[in-house]
Amino acid sequence: MLRTLIEKEIRDLTGSTKFVITFAACALLIIAAFYVGAIRHKLSMSQFEASKDEQVRALEGITDWMDVNDIRVFLPPEPLAALVSGVSNDIERTAVITGRGDIPTEDSRYNEDPIYAIFRFIDLEFIFSVILSLFAILLGYDAISGEKERGTLRLTFANAVPKRTYIMGKLLGSFITLTTSIIIAILIGVLLLLILGFSLTAMEWLKLFLIIVAGLMFFGVFLSLSIFVSALTHRSSSSFLILLVIWVMLVHIVPRASVLLAARSVDVPSVDEIAYQKSTLAIQLGEEFREAMRNIEIPASANPSEDPMMKFNEYLDSLTNIRESKLNALSSRLREDRHNRQKVQENLAFTLARLSPVTLFSLAASYLAGTSIHLKDRFYDEAVAYQGDYGKFIKDKTGINPGGMLKIRASRSCSGGGGEEESQPEQIDGSELPAFAFSNDDFKGSFGSAIVDLGLLGILNLFLFAGAFLAFVRYDVR
Amino acid sequence: MLSILINKELRAIVSSPKFVGAFVVCSILILLSIYTGIREYRVMSARYDAAALMVDQEIRQETSWGRMSTEVFRRPDPMQIFAAGLDYDIGRWSPVSNRGSAKLKNSAYSDDPIYSVFRFLDFSFITQFILTLFAILFTYNAVNGEREDGTLKLIMSNAVSRAKFLIGKCVGAWLGLVVPVTIPILLGFLLIMVFNVPLSSDHWMKIIFFMALSLGLFTFFIVFGVLMSSLARSSSISFLISLVVWVLAVMIIPRMGVMAAGNMVYVPRVAEIEGQLSGFAQSKWDEFMRGTEERWNKYNQSGDGVQLDEEKMWEIMQHEDSLHRAIEQEIMQHELKLREDLRQRKIRQEKLAFSLSRLSPVAAYQLGVMSLAGTGVDIKNRYEDAINNYRNEFYNFVQQKQDETGDNGKMMLAFTISDDGSQSMTMSGDRTTENLDISGMPQFMVPAVKFAEAISPATVDFGIIIFYIIMTFAGAFVAFLKYDVR
Repeated sequence: MLRTLIEKEIRDLTGSTKFVITFAACALLIIAAFYVGAIRHKLSMSQFEASKDEQVRALEGITDWMDVNDIRVFLPPEPLAALVSGVSNDIERTAVITGRGDIPTEDSRYNEDPIYAIFRFIDLEFIFSVILSLFAILLGYDAISGEKERGTLRLTFANAVPKRTYIMGKLLGSFITLTTSIIIAILIGVLLLLILGFSLTAMEWLKLFLIIVAGLMFFGVFLSLSIFVSALTHRSSSSFLILLVIWVMLVHIVPRASVLLAARSVDVPSVDEIAYQKSTLAIQLGEEFREAMRNIEIPASANPSEDPMMKFNEYLDSLTNIRESKLNALSSRLREDRHNRQKVQENLAFTLARLSPVTLFSLAASYLAGTSIHLKDRFYDEAVAYQGDYGKFIKDKTGINPGGMLKIRASRSCSGGGGEEESQPEQIDGSELPAFAFSNDDFKGSFGSAIVDLGLLGILNLFLFAGAFLAFVRYDVR
Repeated sequence: MLSILINKELRAIVSSPKFVGAFVVCSILILLSIYTGIREYRVMSARYDAAALMVDQEIRQETSWGRMSTEVFRRPDPMQIFAAGLDYDIGRWSPVSNRGSAKLKNSAYSDDPIYSVFRFLDFSFITQFILTLFAILFTYNAVNGEREDGTLKLIMSNAVSRAKFLIGKCVGAWLGLVVPVTIPILLGFLLIMVFNVPLSSDHWMKIIFFMALSLGLFTFFIVFGVLMSSLARSSSISFLISLVVWVLAVMIIPRMGVMAAGNMVYVPRVAEIEGQLSGFAQSKWDEFMRGTEERWNKYNQSGDGVQLDEEKMWEIMQHEDSLHRAIEQEIMQHELKLREDLRQRKIRQEKLAFSLSRLSPVAAYQLGVMSLAGTGVDIKNRYEDAINNYRNEFYNFVQQKQDETGDNGKMMLAFTISDDGSQSMTMSGDRTTENLDISGMPQFMVPAVKFAEAISPATVDFGIIIFYIIMTFAGAFVAFLKYDVR
């Protein structure tokens, strides 16, 4: 019996014009999202490589590591960011490494190409959360009330069909049809990725798989929600209206409003307040620094091979170290404080936003893709670690860490020198620099963060499924 | 006759149960958007004040003109309450330095990525996503719904011309939907006054024009619903098609247009340009360093082994300094050239992208309100140009002060080699330690967009929307004339 009902449902759905139109639109958009994602990833990869090459080129012609003022490290594009952008276009992707002190960042994608920020990109996450949820409603709103209006519900129950079996057939039939059609579109998209030479590691494939699973669960939430509402109402037009209002609220309003309202209710010191405090201390320390620098005398040493410049630089190095350690103490305290409050803010804002399944899906997908809001901190932490390596490297090369301080250099060519052959100084080799290897969350980490949202999506599915079931059992079929 | 038809339509809309729901939802959302907008504006203003205080403090504490540099922060503008546009995506500040031209860094979204996850909720968003949807919801069955109910036949059996019927439909629906929406808008204005948002008369003009644009888009979707309802026989089909078109117009076409243009016009990345620049600068400085070396050798020879006295030293340093500045100028010019080229390419790309996106009236609306609010793509160039101008003013002033006071922030190093080959070094610090007299220092003028300047780009988009409205109305008219009312 159940089988017949499921078959009937599948045939009903696939035979309707509504299904054909919506499925065609969805399939096109899903495939477009994959295509655009692959193209964009290629582009950002080539830009990333170009930036790195540019960094190496900037070191060309320099003959002493002392002359290297700062170097830039770049956040490599996450492959899955092409499908789930998350915050990857909003955060800054270039860090300026000087050797010590705070690390300024710059060049967020949207700041560089504001044209894309107006309407943003189309990605898989957007297609799922906005378009597919709307189509789930479109296909499910008249599941029960529509049959009632057409009179087919009464006909069905004139036979010996138990209500439970009927609603199970309805739910399962629509789930199977719709998820299969989405999966087909996604498979075509994945094929397109492979054709376009988009390579993923096994772990990334697994993550992509989980993202798609999360998307289907999210789709399921909206499908069972619409069947649920349709089983609560007697006219399909009113069930549609209710669903549309719910859709607008859940998709467009709840996430935005809860983040804007909740996040601002937690008092997080702004970067400007922190910069102000740091600048106050820096001014004071700068004064001391200059005082210490006034009228330095490096006495002649008996050993002619000793270079007074180097001694001077070492002296400056020690002064700068003292200044930096004081500044660092303040800045890390302020950072820590800000970080802790941001955690509170994030918890509050996202907990509230999780009222909407869109948030659950978005967060799960961005955790899995490695493009969640933690990407910024992660990049910063790695840049700090790199700065340590870089400082050590430069110290090995030059004897001091010249980052952020005054340097004195003298040219070696002596006036009136005799006929000594001057050897051309050798250029430095940029490839000796320690490489910046950014590693995002591993699978365990990202899955661990996403599991809560995935679980909630699953629970919500069951809950709405049960709701639809119970509502129909009590439905007046006349 | 027409007034009866309008009256009837108005009453049908206002008395329908969905009207109450839609009205309540719209009102809450409009007020919510204005409220969060005001709050964000205040937060951003507080941040701006903190930053301005810091910049001021840094200038006041500086003791040498030679080290003088500053920063410029973008000042928030109350118009972002209604159309935040790119305000949160563009960097908030730029250094003003003689080493490179202005570059805005650290956008609000990159400082606090939590707000970038779901982005902003402003009035322009509500118009694009909510009001347009409700417009369709009330008009998708304007004609075919009456046919399905059988009332169309009844009306047409009276002496009612089709033109009058259609005009009555559109005007009635328009009045029924637009008048209620103005209530929360007026309440929103009240909210703005209660929170004491500083608005000039210029701002109010912009806000009024902004509301006119919003109503224009709203009207388009009302007429569009009527068009669909007179094209399709059954209201469920017209609804489905309207919804698909809505999704395309609101969410797909604008994005696709920009992304397609991005692929069609190649624009080099800023990093690429900066790489070229740093290469150029490096070679120039190398040249300078070699020149300095040669000159010093010459000085030493002309002194014929006799030590140069201190005054002579300073003199030579002044000369070196002017050469140094000439190179700075040269690099700056080169940079301007490269950046201008980049900008031209970007403008070409933008033109194409916006023309493609404007296939959708929603994109025209978004672009129009952004240029009105001064938060469109030009915000970046506008600020960077203003900062570059300020940079020249600033450094001219600093230069003048340096010349007046003879303080160029340079320190003197004396380096001696004794006969036995041992080397010693002395360094004398700054010549001054007192704080500087900064009176008369040029202040950065915020490049605000005046209403008179903002109106012309916004009018183009307004014109586009009006054009779409007329076309859809004409379409609806033609379709209805041929409509089989049975």
